Amino acid sequence: MSLKKIFEEHPKRRYIMFGGKGGLGKTTFSAATAYWLAQQGKKVLVFSVDPQASLSDIFQKDIFGKGPVKIMENLWAQEIDADQHIKAYQQEIRQKILDMYGFDEVPDEIEQYIQAASAEPAMEESAIFDAVVDIVIGSDYDYYIYDLVPLGHALYYLSMAKVYDEWINKITKLREEMREYEEMVSRLKREKETEEDQILTELLYIRTRINASSSILTDKEKTGFFFVIIPEEMILIDTSKAAELFAKFDVPIMGYVVNRVVPRELLQQNIPAYLKNRIEMQDKYLEQIKNTFGRQVAAHVPELERDVTGLDMIRQLAEIMYGN
Amino acid sequence: MSEEEKKSFWQNMKEVLYGMASHDMSRYALRTRASMEHLFILITMGDMIGVPILPPYYSLRLLPYVVPQISTWKRRLLREKDLSDAMF
Repeated sequence: MSLKKIFEEHPKRRYIMFGGKGGLGKTTFSAATAYWLAQQGKKVLVFSVDPQASLSDIFQKDIFGKGPVKIMENLWAQEIDADQHIKAYQQEIRQKILDMYGFDEVPDEIEQYIQAASAEPAMEESAIFDAVVDIVIGSDYDYYIYDLVPLGHALYYLSMAKVYDEWINKITKLREEMREYEEMVSRLKREKETEEDQILTELLYIRTRINASSSILTDKEKTGFFFVIIPEEMILIDTSKAAELFAKFDVPIMGYVVNRVVPRELLQQNIPAYLKNRIEMQDKYLEQIKNTFGRQVAAHVPELERDVTGLDMIRQLAEIMYGN
Repeated sequence: MSEEEKKSFWQNMKEVLYGMASHDMSRYALRTRASMEHLFILITMGDMIGVPILPPYYSLRLLPYVVPQISTWKRRLLREKDLSDAMF
């Protein structure tokens, strides 16, 4: 089935993700898809959660950490700056402490913790995760295109949602039990209402955020995941493994896009043995792709003459992927 | 006996009754509640004493609410203790 048809048949799928090993063309395909959808009159946001994102390079515009930036009619692009997000968040926490207790400055012990927590490796991922929630729970756009990080990270990102959710559930339960004790004491002492437990409120808020994001990722109606592959053995092995894992997390896979296919027409020309060998090798793996993924293969994209940067190249690529 | 004195008599009776019947119970409940509070802080702020449990991003969100309890919590958890403490 062609990419165009997939989009036409599933108009409800508004969260589109491209994943695959590093350097195979995820960002390029995200950009081209966003471009095509924008041309169809849909309002599109393409955003990257990769700390080494390259949407800026593709659109030839510095968009890093600038929020959604308008690229052309109907098309916005965004690169999340995790560091900036963390700094703003830390400041928000400090301010809250100062306001709540009327301190002039945050106590040393607490300040040290704020800084130590932010240096944790998981901090950046969580910050990005949280920023993504902000983006996707809004409904400003018809389509949200995720330019995902390489597969391992994407899986980590998905499993994190599950782990977080379980943790928060446990903690919330504990907090609710604590609340019962509190209520018991105030009943015994015949006091009026116990005051609202703000921590419980926060926990419930955190849980809604996490659920919002993970339910979008695994929503079969609204979400579609594309794997980007190239006709080479290692990539195919890795992708098959990843696809199995994704299936475990209930991520709806929409199809596979094969990139970097050397045009077979070249065989009719006088080409060097080197290129001939590559075409033969690719033929072998293209056959394998057909057998393994069958109808799920949505498009073949040829190896292009030059790299895809700038709107003009993106348009050409979109034409190849979706037709004129 | 004036109205006010009567009230305070009943008030006193009430307090005596509370003291006899439920003071211990509520003290016990408060103590359990305090232990739970410390357990809660351990789970959410554990990496302050080297026990990372909740992802730090979300523990920061909860930090402002536990600021006043942090020092008693640390004192309690880091107090040196071993099995013999319970035995002797």
